[in-house]
Amino acid sequence: MSISIHTSISAAVYENENVPLRDERRKALLGVRGLRKRHGERLLFDIERIEIATHGAYVLTGINGAGKSTLLRVLGGLERAEIDSLRFQCDDVLRVHPYPRRLREAIVYVHQHPILFSTGVAHNIGYGLAMRGVAKDEIARIVREAMDWAGVAHLEGTDPALLSGGEKQRVALARAKVLQPKLLLLDEPTSNLDGAAREQVIELIPTLVEAGSSVVIACHDRDLIGLPGVQRMKLRDGRLEYR
Amino acid sequence: MMELPLVDATLNAFGLLVSGDADLWRIIWVSLKTSVSGLLLAAPPAILLGYLVAMHRFRGRRIAIWLAQAALSLPTVLIGLLLYLLLSRRGPLGDLQWLFSQPGIVFGQCVVALPVLVAFTLAAVQGLDPRYAETAVALGASRWRVMLRVLHEGRFGVMAAVLSGFGRVISEVGCALMVGGNIEGQTRTITTAIALETSKGEFAQGIALGIVLVALALLMNGALMLLQGDAHSARGHL
Repeated sequence: MSISIHTSISAAVYENENVPLRDERRKALLGVRGLRKRHGERLLFDIERIEIATHGAYVLTGINGAGKSTLLRVLGGLERAEIDSLRFQCDDVLRVHPYPRRLREAIVYVHQHPILFSTGVAHNIGYGLAMRGVAKDEIARIVREAMDWAGVAHLEGTDPALLSGGEKQRVALARAKVLQPKLLLLDEPTSNLDGAAREQVIELIPTLVEAGSSVVIACHDRDLIGLPGVQRMKLRDGRLEYR
Repeated sequence: MMELPLVDATLNAFGLLVSGDADLWRIIWVSLKTSVSGLLLAAPPAILLGYLVAMHRFRGRRIAIWLAQAALSLPTVLIGLLLYLLLSRRGPLGDLQWLFSQPGIVFGQCVVALPVLVAFTLAAVQGLDPRYAETAVALGASRWRVMLRVLHEGRFGVMAAVLSGFGRVISEVGCALMVGGNIEGQTRTITTAIALETSKGEFAQGIALGIVLVALALLMNGALMLLQGDAHSARGHL
């Protein structure tokens, strides 16, 4: 099944193309050399290099169990792995464990099935901003904009536990977007969604790149893989292949 | 000789409660004060410990869990005996002069509540969806803020830990008797008084105190339920 997506990632990035943006785009955001992850004795993957460009959009494919989620979780600082070297925004990061504050503030991982705190939709979206010490008025303004962006403004008074899978995913995307991350790691954002819910989530993703984030999406969804301007990475037999 | 001792004693008990018998109310006050103080002192470090053990992998973690859970079965009278030895004049903590005093009972209630609070908090945090902590971390929360978020999401379990801790300290008799000494007007608590009154054949006062104990349990549980807020049914919205 194919769906129509009005905003493509390439259009979002190149629409107002000018020289500074093009230069910025060429810059490497994240470069990792020698990344190995073991589960006990078993080597899950041994990746020679990962290069993520500024304003880049990538899909990460691979069969179930290939380690897509684990790779995203490692990059997002939720799991440890052996890493030979890591560069972020052209600076060498000397210590990866514990995960450095600078990376934590720039890289945000979103779960395949995001969980919302039981407090409320607006509190969820503003949580990361509050953790960064942003003033309450400013948080309220940003949260309002983000709720409009994600199409969840009508859910403000709803108990987060009662939201549908698609609504939770959109709140989680808004919760990540307000932090203006340099890199967003989305773990199968459309899995278990269908129809309008899936379409709504797919439509949000190009606008994240437009807003200035690089995005890596682990997925099987052909419509996401087929988005224009998206580079493909495949995790196979423990190796990462660029397509 | 009474034909219906239970009915008579219960009627007399209500009489004592309503008439505001000073001795009775002093016992209730000592009991409540020492139990709540002991619980409040034990709760913060115990909840922190339960959280830390639940959230972190470290050498000896399983032994820590085993000990915390085994400590649930320790008879309070044994805890009382150990504390008696610690607090007695020639014991290592004898200089504190806490034996047969209210601070001694508070100390005892702390020790009695600690394993309950640790083990129940540990279970509550361990049973919580790990995505709560991961999401807070991913959104940039400090360790302290992650803990607050996780404990908030697991508040039903944490409150259950506090309620169980309260239940254990308000109802235990062994430790309060051995460390407090059941001194009238000083260290006589509801449970030690019930034991004493029953041994004297004064059933009315014993039952009156029992009624108060049940009323306190209902009140404390009610207050904490209000604090917890509305809970979703485990069955969802079926």
